Amino acid sequence: MTAKLVVQGLSHHYPDEYTGVSVHALDDINLEVNDGEFVAIVGPSGCGKTTLLNILAGLLRYREGNATVDGKKIDGPGPDRGVVFQEHAILPWRTVAGNIGHGLELQKIPRQERQDRVAEYIELVGLVGFEDRYPHELSGGMKQRCAVARTLCADPEIMLMDEPFAAVDAQTRITLQEELIRIAIATKKTILFITHAVDEAAFLGDRCFVFSRRPGRLRETVHINIPRAERNWGDIAANPEFVRARDRILALVREEVIADDR
Amino acid sequence: MTDRLNRFLAFWRHFPGAKVINLALVIAGLLTAWALISGSIDNPDRYLPSPLAVAASSVDMLYKGLLPSYFGDTISRLLLGSLIGLGLGIPFGLLLGLNRTVSDIFFPIMNFFQSVSGIAIFPIVVIWWGNSDKTVLAVILYTSFFPVAFNVLSGVREVPLRYIHAAYTLGASKFQVIRDVLAPGALPHIATGSRLSIGFAWRAVIAGEMLAGREGLGWMIFTGQDADMTSQVILGMLMIGLTWIVLDHYLLRPLEADTIERWGLVQR
Amino acid sequence: MNALTKFSLLVQGRFGRKRLRRIGLGSIPFIFLLTLWQMNTTFEWLAPVFIPSIGGVIDAIFILQSDCGGVWDILSLDNTCLMTTHILSSIGRVLLAAVIGIPLGIIFGILAGMNRLISTVLEPVGVFANSISGIAWVPLAIVWFGVGWMTTLFIMLNTVFWLMFFNAMLGTRGIAKVYEQSVLTLGGSRWNIFIQVYLPGAMPSIITGMRMSLGFGWRALIAAEMIGGDSGLGFMIFTAAEEFNVEQVFLGVIVISIIYLATDHYLLGPLEKWTIHRWGLTWKPT
Repeated sequence: MTAKLVVQGLSHHYPDEYTGVSVHALDDINLEVNDGEFVAIVGPSGCGKTTLLNILAGLLRYREGNATVDGKKIDGPGPDRGVVFQEHAILPWRTVAGNIGHGLELQKIPRQERQDRVAEYIELVGLVGFEDRYPHELSGGMKQRCAVARTLCADPEIMLMDEPFAAVDAQTRITLQEELIRIAIATKKTILFITHAVDEAAFLGDRCFVFSRRPGRLRETVHINIPRAERNWGDIAANPEFVRARDRILALVREEVIADDR
Repeated sequence: MTDRLNRFLAFWRHFPGAKVINLALVIAGLLTAWALISGSIDNPDRYLPSPLAVAASSVDMLYKGLLPSYFGDTISRLLLGSLIGLGLGIPFGLLLGLNRTVSDIFFPIMNFFQSVSGIAIFPIVVIWWGNSDKTVLAVILYTSFFPVAFNVLSGVREVPLRYIHAAYTLGASKFQVIRDVLAPGALPHIATGSRLSIGFAWRAVIAGEMLAGREGLGWMIFTGQDADMTSQVILGMLMIGLTWIVLDHYLLRPLEADTIERWGLVQR
Repeated sequence: MNALTKFSLLVQGRFGRKRLRRIGLGSIPFIFLLTLWQMNTTFEWLAPVFIPSIGGVIDAIFILQSDCGGVWDILSLDNTCLMTTHILSSIGRVLLAAVIGIPLGIIFGILAGMNRLISTVLEPVGVFANSISGIAWVPLAIVWFGVGWMTTLFIMLNTVFWLMFFNAMLGTRGIAKVYEQSVLTLGGSRWNIFIQVYLPGAMPSIITGMRMSLGFGWRALIAAEMIGGDSGLGFMIFTAAEEFNVEQVFLGVIVISIIYLATDHYLLGPLEKWTIHRWGLTWKPT
């Protein structure tokens, strides 16, 4: 298996928005994500998960360390790394189809090819019949499906997801998680998924990186050896591997949160 | 290097005095640009007198006592006109809004009158009363009355019916409903309408003074142009601008924001 | 069911009961005012020098257009078609000021909203420019451009530009950062972001700006035409007032109101509907 994303010795400081005091967000991060792998990152809030994702997306400049995708150093945002943001990130002034085809439009793909691919991804995320709706006419879950389809349709090398299901209700979240697994099987994409929900990380990830509290460090990697085909909420709760991984992740996160409170 | 710059900018953004210093720098820059342009054109006294010339004319006019007197005239006209306008407009709007049918009847015509500019009324009024203070006052009254009355009317219309019903079920009388539900419910609109009205009134004062030739800041810039004293024109414009900034940003806007926020309802 | 009920049901179905009721009720004061106006003429409460007759106001149209030779004379702003000439020259200035001022104001406003340095410089200038009401620029404009087209155009342009600038800037500042980021990560350039994120995102504010521009600009234009113009509706009513020609003054005031209301209703209303309502963006008052 080849490494898609490699991060070596990455550290990051930034001046606080209000006080101007330097904040140490990430400390010496080393990690690899393999081609076609689904990796979840879990950590207490404020542990630098989002900072890491912004650096990988190219939205934030970094100076210490190195981050590469397919051996190419990350320098600014680009269509090789697609991002699914937390919420409200699809453009309200574009229809569902317009949003999903946006990446292809920016890459100047001819209209006919674009329409075919948009139709394909609308089908994949189950938004058939909603092509010409505007985002405000969609439910929260549908908006996030649209956001996932928009990112996938641009055909990125790796998909970065920043707590994408945090803002939808619990019922919808479960459906979306199962659908994401199905999409991962169908598209074989490399996915880096950031979350603070332990269940979600154990359910989705082939591996799970647990981060420490600020300054964020990679504390431990938890492997979850469950075939993707077996990942559905009906069966997985009884799966001893899932239970073991979830308990391990939970224990690590709890330690960090408790240590932070002291 | 860029790191240092960014850090400095981040520091500067949070430095308490930064805004004032930024503003002072911008104003200094604009004054310099103004002086440079003024120095480089032919006949600057006519087309763009330097800042110094404008300052000199202000000293001159202060010395003669003209500036304070013009300023006082304009402000008292604004106060008189807009206070009467608000005093009549707010109750009128409330009254019309009391009953849905009545408010439905008067909504379009009030909308019509509030969008007819008061300045366009001027030629009509001038035929009635000539170039007098009465004419100017009438124009100011017209411009300040309709915006506030219209806003209050639509404010009352927008008070949710369930509040009114709730008050009735608690045994409120008609008067109590007005006092406890409609008037406070329309308060954000009253505030917005008042600010709008005073803004229109301010423009009307300046225009009215120019058109009817009554002494004041508008008259000052108008005669300044007539007498080829451009420095006096620019001085007048600066006074008009500064007065409105002080009035609007430090008095009216905070008042409006306070009322809207305290009630916690931003309707529309 | 007789024909009348059928007809009434048809009309109600076509326009909607509630709307019909509103239109019916709303027209009462207008009819009342017109009746009062007509009664004033019949019973001569106030002399026709102060309040002209309705017929006189309508006649004024024909007097002003008396020798008008047809469409070509109207379009070439011939002096024989005085009323249309004044109307068209006022509207022409509004259009010209809109065509130049609105795009420029939007561009600078969005740039100032994107960039702190630009806004630090331009924001105080804008606050000041907006505080000097449009009319107060008239004397200086007369000094610079003389009485006529340029002065009135300048007044309108000045009002439109700064209002558009301000509203576009505030609108741009209010756009969530995540839209910009998402377009960046899809491979968009700064230009793509300007066109696809900032411009539509600031649209609610921009349309408010257009409303305000039209409202304030139209008033300022009428005043400017009175003091520093040699054509236009403002000029027409002002000179008519000097000659005590009340009919023409009334006619002019009515035309001014109708043009304003029609533009607001038939141009800006649909624009609002086609952009911000369709996109589900809330209307933010500034």
